Amino acid sequence: MKTILTIIIVLFSMLVLQAQELLKPKMEMKIDSIGNANIKVSMTMNANQWQMWSQNYGNNPSLIKRNMEKELPGYFLDDFKLDKNDMDRSFSFTFKAYGVCAVDKKGTWIVSTEQKNPDLTKLTDHKYMMVSTDVANGMQETSIIEFPESAKNIEQTKDAFDKTQFEFEMKEMRSGINWFLWIGVFLAAGGGGWAAFVSIADKRAKNTQPF
Amino acid sequence: MNKKLLFPLLLLGAGIVFIVISLLNPGGDLGGLDIKIQKSSLIMPAAHKVYSNPQALNGQYYLFKALITNNGNKTLERVSMKYRVPGYIEWTELGTLGKMIPGQSAVVACYPSFDEKITGKTTESMEKAEIVVEWAGASENDFLEESFNFKILNRNDFAYTNVPADEIMSWGDMFGNSSLIACFVTPHDPIVKYYTQVVQEKVMKGESSGISGTAEGAVKFLLSLYEATRMSHMVYSSTKAVPQSLDDVSTLIQHVRLPREVISGNTGLCIELSTLYASVLSSVGLNPVIFFIPGHAYPGVRVNGQYFAIESTGIGGEGMGSIASAEDAFKHGMKSLEEFVKAMQAGDPRYSLVDINEVNAMGITSMNLEDNDFLRKKVDEIAMKFSAGEQGRVNVSAPSAGGGGGGGGNGNRASGTLTFSTPSGWQTYHSPAPDVPILTSQVVSPDQAVSISVYDIPSNSSQNAMQLVSQYFSQNNMQLEYQINGGRVTGNTYYPSYGTSFKWIARIAPVQGGYRLIAVGADSRYYDQYSGVINTVYKSIK
Repeated sequence: MKTILTIIIVLFSMLVLQAQELLKPKMEMKIDSIGNANIKVSMTMNANQWQMWSQNYGNNPSLIKRNMEKELPGYFLDDFKLDKNDMDRSFSFTFKAYGVCAVDKKGTWIVSTEQKNPDLTKLTDHKYMMVSTDVANGMQETSIIEFPESAKNIEQTKDAFDKTQFEFEMKEMRSGINWFLWIGVFLAAGGGGWAAFVSIADKRAKNTQPF
Repeated sequence: MNKKLLFPLLLLGAGIVFIVISLLNPGGDLGGLDIKIQKSSLIMPAAHKVYSNPQALNGQYYLFKALITNNGNKTLERVSMKYRVPGYIEWTELGTLGKMIPGQSAVVACYPSFDEKITGKTTESMEKAEIVVEWAGASENDFLEESFNFKILNRNDFAYTNVPADEIMSWGDMFGNSSLIACFVTPHDPIVKYYTQVVQEKVMKGESSGISGTAEGAVKFLLSLYEATRMSHMVYSSTKAVPQSLDDVSTLIQHVRLPREVISGNTGLCIELSTLYASVLSSVGLNPVIFFIPGHAYPGVRVNGQYFAIESTGIGGEGMGSIASAEDAFKHGMKSLEEFVKAMQAGDPRYSLVDINEVNAMGITSMNLEDNDFLRKKVDEIAMKFSAGEQGRVNVSAPSAGGGGGGGGNGNRASGTLTFSTPSGWQTYHSPAPDVPILTSQVVSPDQAVSISVYDIPSNSSQNAMQLVSQYFSQNNMQLEYQINGGRVTGNTYYPSYGTSFKWIARIAPVQGGYRLIAVGADSRYYDQYSGVINTVYKSIK
């Protein structure tokens, strides 16, 4: 999540000079049950800002994609989609970011905010809001971070660099059963048991024959 | 053998076979680990320190990044990746992932540490990167192996972009690497230092004391440097060095001589002269800037938030017609700067600047260069030209920067009879609002919270002057409320479209041709927070 503000700056950098008040984009990050995230950035602009944004980015979505990939080297990005609404002067830009969460040796899931003491508010058990202000770039961004329903015990902790991160537990969706081993055990036990049963039955049959 | 035991024993045997297979293959379903690679198409040796630094420009310059996905049905532990570039980098670990559950993806980025000797590379070559992924319990046969080819340019090559020529659609695509030009700015090069010392001694006559502090000193140094290149008969090579249009693919990778090579060769392209100026300016502690415009680049300096520029190619050449004086080159540079600022404020992406100190702080640093006796002798030869040309040397004086919207100020004071002191680090914009021509300049604090606005109003009284300001504001959807008390004016500017207001305090006084109003203020919500600095600026208006 390094880079929530980076994402926004990539999308709006050309608007800063035109901004007479803080730009207020919104970002929603929805983390799935395997640690990837679907990200949506949206904003409504005034006429000047819209004209400039359209001129530089709106008509060249591949530039946004390339810039985004360049600015977010920690993630692998895919499924880009840009929806523009010229009538409302608004847009939403969505993409998928792979590898947003890491799992440590203990099996704890970790997602970093890459920020020291961010302004975080808990909305629900699985939803947090973060407000980031970048006065120099004239932006105030509201980010919603949504964890998967299967995430439990979500906690805010600090990493070694004193940056805030979320830690949580999540059950593996797919089992890690070694089918070969269990089939083998089942067959061996079944075969062995059957053989033992046959042997014992044969012995008993011999022992119970009349003289 | 009892026939009844045949089938159970077969089952038992099959079970044992399955158990043995599972024990021999502890990784479970190993075919499920997938890897996708995003690679850099080229590496510039001059920028090798940037590639090795994950923090440089947010880590955007990697050799490759890999997406590893566990598509199997077993959790893998201690998944690690290593890579090598034969001939350049031995096998190097890129870190270990604690666990990878089925379906999980992880991204690993590679920031290669090339040896310093890569800066001696004088030819371009294709190289191969090899990658191996392994995990706990996997045998060598199970390791995931990938490789890809990439290009290493020669040490003088500068690629303006990594985007393939046939995919370039915008100026942003074309100038994606412009910040990396700072890698060719070499203030720590012993030859550049020696050249700087010679310029200070022979051209400036030791007048360099205190150049870092004032705009006047910085401009004087800029002019002296131009004079030094002119006196040494340096030639502007005049071939294209900066892309001019989106289809200008011939200049996407440019051979850029290092500043030491420009000095010793006594010739340079616009971009090379710009990096030479930036190197020398940086070595004396100034803040150099390189301005990029379509088809051209020129150097400048930033002092206390103000920019100054010079047309370094004014030296021309013997076969290229006239050679501009230092003053003319400076005037030309400032005029270009004025156009540059207007274009940038209008959002024209073709106009960009690289602030060398700023990008240095982001990790974009130059290569290490060793001292060289031959090059020192070359500088000595140049020093002799300085001495020989001394009699005909023009007197280098720092002209005051153009007034009004002339693209600069005379240090930290606005021109005219009503002036103010600009706090250090504030940014000046000239004629920032074309729709309000009476707004001649605006100075903005580094956090953009406080601004000082200078209005030159053609009027015969302060009342009329304020009414004119009010008219301009209302034409631009702003409402002005103010009170005049002698030369002091206080007021609020409302922005109905945004629901915000700007609170300010100002002085107004007659100047030649009308009245000048200097107002300082901030968004009403933050005014109290910044009242200290606002009052300081206000008190400095005289």
